[in-house]
Amino acid sequence: MSTPARRRLMRDFKRLQEDPPTGVSGAPTDNNIMIWNAVIFGPHDTPFEDGTFKLTIEFTEEYPNKPPTVRFVSKVFHPNVYADGGICLDILQNRWSPTYDVSAILTSIQSLLSDPNPNSPANSTAAQLYKENRREYEKRVKACVEQSFID
Amino acid sequence: MEPFTHNDGNRDELIIQQKRDIEKEISDTTPLISEQLPLTCLYAEYSGDEIFTAKIQDLSKKYKFIRRTRPDGNCFFRAFAYSYLEYLISNNSAYQEFKKLAEESKEKLVQLGFPSFTLEDFHETFMEVIQRVSPDNAGGHSTVQDELHKIFNEQGYSDYVVVYLRLITSGKLQEEADFYQNFIEGDLTIEAFRHLEVEPMYKESDHIHIIALCTALGAGVRVEYLDRGEGGTVKAHDFPEGSEPRIYLIYRPGHYDILYPN
Repeated sequence: MSTPARRRLMRDFKRLQEDPPTGVSGAPTDNNIMIWNAVIFGPHDTPFEDGTFKLTIEFTEEYPNKPPTVRFVSKVFHPNVYADGGICLDILQNRWSPTYDVSAILTSIQSLLSDPNPNSPANSTAAQLYKENRREYEKRVKACVEQSFID
Repeated sequence: MEPFTHNDGNRDELIIQQKRDIEKEISDTTPLISEQLPLTCLYAEYSGDEIFTAKIQDLSKKYKFIRRTRPDGNCFFRAFAYSYLEYLISNNSAYQEFKKLAEESKEKLVQLGFPSFTLEDFHETFMEVIQRVSPDNAGGHSTVQDELHKIFNEQGYSDYVVVYLRLITSGKLQEEADFYQNFIEGDLTIEAFRHLEVEPMYKESDHIHIIALCTALGAGVRVEYLDRGEGGTVKAHDFPEGSEPRIYLIYRPGHYDILYPN
């Protein structure tokens, strides 16, 4: 059945294929357009460089009026990523705009990797290390980059 | 954003789930836009309340009917769109003018920096709705009126209309940021206000939203305020000030419905 959400997700997918942003990719799962798998490559010149981080994106019929639920499947050590992979990012919560599409979501998460917001921490250890011990922070991030090759 | 001092993502999910349950209850029991009801139906909601009873009495001298909207945070935008289109389907020249303005609005928003790919989706639906309620359509006024009512109770169409009006409102705030900055309390920038209070669905509207939207579309709105204020009469306010109202709304704290003058 075609609903506004499904129609819009087909458009999002088409755009992502025709005009893919650097360093991210995503596609609906085989049998359900409401659940997507995505990959974000760690941005260059950050400790996340070379990492391949997998995510799932779950949409409801209210998309794009409401944001999807986005979660890292790969382990990510980051001030704004919860232990269960949930992401604390304003555009996925109170700053969501229906004008965002999958491409915009993935590129925003990609830039969150480069620029954490330690003032709204989802992982307090990561936030503290990011602020106080950048070397140790980078070490822990690099460990999850290594881990992302295996996952 | 609220700083979180815990490590538990589940709290957010619990709150979201609870919000969804409440929203579902409202959407199961209240249509997006109701049929026309006699204004006197308001008495039942305030029985025994002298202030409100006196004010409803006052209001009923000027208005015969009310049309209720679902209280989902989008009520102002939905009521505005419905009421304005209702006016336009009986005024062909104003309809044609509005259609032209709506057609051109997309390009304007793109120039203001809105992403054209997603904007197109909302704009297409918005134009489709306008076309479907054209006064020139076969069947005449009552058929078009029925079509309008049907479209606005179809969540997909109805919400896309609301989204598009939110984007027009946001665009107006951006275009005249210096002016609208004066209406914002605290130290929020216009930019932040647009992203927190205007573009997200289900966010309630304030005077600033109303003024920006009316100005952008050149449509006058009269709002009747039914509240606990003294005086025994309902106070009205026209947006933009001094304009000829085409849309009549009733505001009760937190909610807008549509009014029909005698």
